Amino acid sequence: MARASVAEQRAAWILLSPFVLAAVVFFLYPLVESARLAMTQSFGANATRPVGMSNFSSVLTDPIFWIATQNTVILTAASLLVVLPMSLGLALLLNRPNLKCRALYRLVIFMPQMVGLVFAGFIATVFFAKDTGFVNQLLTQIPGVNTLLHNLFGFDVQFPWLDRHVLLTVFIINLWLWVGFNMVYFLAALQSVDKSLVEAATIDGAGPFQRFKNVTLPAIKSVTAFVFLLAFIGSMQLFELPYIMLNGDPPQNRGVTIVWYLYQQGFEIDDLGMASAVGWILGIVLIGAAFVQFASARHESREARL
Amino acid sequence: MPNSDENTGQHPIPNGLAERLPPWMTGFSLGSWVIFIIGAVSALILFIPRDHIDADMSFWIFSREHEPMYAPIVEDWNATHDTTIKMSMLGMAGLEQRMFNGFRGGLPTADIIEAEYRHAGRAFAGPIDAIGFLDLTDRIKAEGLDESIISTSFTPWTTRGHIFGLPHDVHPVLLAYRADIIEQYGIDVSTIETWDDFAEVFRPIMADNNGDGKPDHYPLAFWPWQDDKVELLLYQGGTGLFDANGQPNINTPENARVLATMVSWCVGPDRIAYDVRDFEDNGNKLKREGLTAAYFTPDWMCGVWKNQFPDMAGKLQIIPLPAFEPGGRRASVWGGTMTGIPKTCENPDEAWEFVKHIYLSPDLAEQLWHAGDIVSPVKAMWDNPMYDEPDEYFRGQRKGRLYIDHIPQVPPRYPSPYNLAARRSVRDAALKLLEYAQDNDVFDKESLIPRAEKVLDEAQRHIKRLVDRNVFLKEEN
Amino acid sequence: MNSRTRRIAAAWPHLILLPLSIVMITPIIWLIAAALKSQTDFFEYLFFPTTENGWMIDFSRLTTQHITNLFGTAGMGRALANSCFLASTVAVLGSFCAAAGGYALARLRFKWAPFVTALVLGLLIIPPPLLLAPTYKLMFNLGLLDSYGAIIFPMIAPAFGVFLFRQATLQSVPRELIEAARVDGMGELTIFMNVALPLLRPMIGAFMIIMFLATWNNFIAPQVFLHSTDKMPLAVAVSRLRGVYYQDYGLQMAAALVSIAPPLLLFLLLQRDFVSGLTSGAVKG
Repeated sequence: MARASVAEQRAAWILLSPFVLAAVVFFLYPLVESARLAMTQSFGANATRPVGMSNFSSVLTDPIFWIATQNTVILTAASLLVVLPMSLGLALLLNRPNLKCRALYRLVIFMPQMVGLVFAGFIATVFFAKDTGFVNQLLTQIPGVNTLLHNLFGFDVQFPWLDRHVLLTVFIINLWLWVGFNMVYFLAALQSVDKSLVEAATIDGAGPFQRFKNVTLPAIKSVTAFVFLLAFIGSMQLFELPYIMLNGDPPQNRGVTIVWYLYQQGFEIDDLGMASAVGWILGIVLIGAAFVQFASARHESREARL
Repeated sequence: MPNSDENTGQHPIPNGLAERLPPWMTGFSLGSWVIFIIGAVSALILFIPRDHIDADMSFWIFSREHEPMYAPIVEDWNATHDTTIKMSMLGMAGLEQRMFNGFRGGLPTADIIEAEYRHAGRAFAGPIDAIGFLDLTDRIKAEGLDESIISTSFTPWTTRGHIFGLPHDVHPVLLAYRADIIEQYGIDVSTIETWDDFAEVFRPIMADNNGDGKPDHYPLAFWPWQDDKVELLLYQGGTGLFDANGQPNINTPENARVLATMVSWCVGPDRIAYDVRDFEDNGNKLKREGLTAAYFTPDWMCGVWKNQFPDMAGKLQIIPLPAFEPGGRRASVWGGTMTGIPKTCENPDEAWEFVKHIYLSPDLAEQLWHAGDIVSPVKAMWDNPMYDEPDEYFRGQRKGRLYIDHIPQVPPRYPSPYNLAARRSVRDAALKLLEYAQDNDVFDKESLIPRAEKVLDEAQRHIKRLVDRNVFLKEEN
Repeated sequence: MNSRTRRIAAAWPHLILLPLSIVMITPIIWLIAAALKSQTDFFEYLFFPTTENGWMIDFSRLTTQHITNLFGTAGMGRALANSCFLASTVAVLGSFCAAAGGYALARLRFKWAPFVTALVLGLLIIPPPLLLAPTYKLMFNLGLLDSYGAIIFPMIAPAFGVFLFRQATLQSVPRELIEAARVDGMGELTIFMNVALPLLRPMIGAFMIIMFLATWNNFIAPQVFLHSTDKMPLAVAVSRLRGVYYQDYGLQMAAALVSIAPPLLLFLLLQRDFVSGLTSGAVKG
């Protein structure tokens, strides 16, 4: 192979310079700065005072932070344990040969992604409103459901989606938004599974479930891991959706997530230092998770090579 | 994966065109071109130079209701003064965002800002010299305004002895009730002194005469989710949220009693309160139907009634708030507006003249009264006969005088940067107490007091943590 | 299997897919109805106002008043232009920089390549909320607060994009082609523009849409970094429509409808590009 020419090196730098410049200024520098900020208390961007590690201890002893953590973990678990399997299931359904209207189904299920997180949250505020929202009105108009609610909750209380059952509502909207996204990934993965392997398994006498478990599932493992990681990271950082749904005011802190807590500290109480501390605590968890994923992926591929 | 056009569903570029385009342009599919075009068109729209109305000073307000009231005054000022003013209505969220971005992020703010009670406290965090507003204490004292304006109007804008805003109002809260409903039951409201009296006197309207299994009317429109009402009740019968030193005093026995009382109104088979939400279509519908008989009514709410419910003229009348204890306060406070001058203003003297003009002029006071039913905080104005006019909407009641007579009973409120957090905390405490009462079938206020103390303790601890952590506030002391 | 069992076997997925699709599309239909219903009808009817017999849509009761108000008194036209501008600019600049970077990493040999690769991987791991507070301070120091640049400049470095384009280049731009072009005497940059870019078309198309959507739906950056009302994009402007003393639901829902229309249309036009580009990075062919 010829030695890399000077022209090649120069071209590389020209092509990479916008990225590298932006990355250093807007990512590396703030990263370093956030470590420093986390040890200060600030009043806006201007006034800061060093406070050592007290921000961290303040965060870790704040009951609201733990409520936020609990909420975030519950939502993440729900996302991983409910949304992902559902997406996979839908992908399997759509993958069936000779399925009519496949493109149409795919379009409709994926469409919520086009609505976007922000506007979905906005719509949800009116959609799930207690007395006048669509969902409750629908429920009251269906006979039988009304009496059931009457007996469970008392006669004039409509289902308080956004007052008491916030996490449930957030979960529902999250599901609506993301099931199509994940499904599309799974579908692409399924469509690239080597059909001859599946045929071989059928000839060997494997039933549909066994085919799925032993042939299909391993074949889509890398995509599954990718989707899993995306969902995990995305759920742990959830903020805009509940924030917009609840109009910035969580009733009894229900629905607060870790990043929302960060936003409150940094931009409602105006303490950028606390916000950075929260960011680091979250960051360490997520970076750890990413490393675990990388390590296990490398371990897997090493094993596969053996 | 083979990468042919068929597989990836590319939109092929028509052959003739493909030959004439430079090679690198074929790297962009139809979608990319659509995005290019959107970008170009929007850039064109955005960067067309627009006429800027250049005024010497800018004035931000947040209230849609104030806009038509102030507009003629601003016009008049511009015609008669050298320094011109441009007024912009930003809305509550917009004003808050821009004001704090300005103060915190060094971005340009207006020369004169009208701010509301809800977020003003946040402006007073930090070291005194870092507060974004100009310290008006000396000017106010020099002109004797601290004497001529009722002191409770100044307290929300005063921190550590410095005053940062000129108050717009006093906003006493009284109780409006549906006289047309009450008289059907032969009820006499003049005997009401305390909330207990109120519950007793209004009880007859709860009878189920239309046989639908539910009370025909509920005495009080209230539910603890609205932090404004929780706060006003705590200030009326309790110790409010913060003391004069900016320290939270939420978990006092008085507050516990008030919290327990307000929750007891909402639970149990004899509950007297119903959730009729202000400013919402469903709530408005229920108001018209007369589901609830009595409403917390600050002076400005009278204006809202007239505006949004012209069809209900002649149905309401006003009495002082029932007290929590015999001899207790009969009025409270809800909302509050001030105008301040940010330190970045280049022409503070002119700005100060304008602020005084707009807030102290008898013309504006008259306009506020006639357009919005708002009572002036300036003591000298109180003799104005307009406040004694009978009000047709309220069955000829001289409500102006009633409000003014109760101004001395308006409780003072002290600011804190954590005001918003405190309001939310006590609201959450009330909701927690409510859910406890509902889940455990505890209905009377005495039994709820221990639990009320507990939830208020939590709220207190939360706010105290925030206050204690703030090193800037400590530096002052 | 006889033809009847075969038909059942073919039909049963529809038992799940059809109801699900109906449920998933309901909010969007509701939104369209909500944007077009008059104030009084808003809570009277679940979806569209119906005629006497309850089955046909009563078109005479629909109104475009909300949409007119939106662009009139509420001034959403400017917010729409802002969203379009920010989203397209970020899409174009971000895609170009990502393509350039990905190509360079994949096919060009240069010193410090490992460092850049590490930078890309590192950026992938950093959670954005961690950077929110210090970026605010940085923007303040750079004087970029309340400028379009505050939103655009950080997006010029999409690590995810560089990674995707690296994969795409490895797959679609064969080394031999580049060598041949070099032999022909083409300069390195010309090779990138004339040889690589056309081959990267699917990924470019997909990535531009991804960036467009991400910026269109970005709420927190404009909320925090922007200040003037006339720079606010739809995501923030729509949230500010919530009144204090009066809720105009029709207006708010019309705003939501207008806000999701462009991405939806874009997607309908370009589904296949989008989906194929999105998945090509993750699925190893």
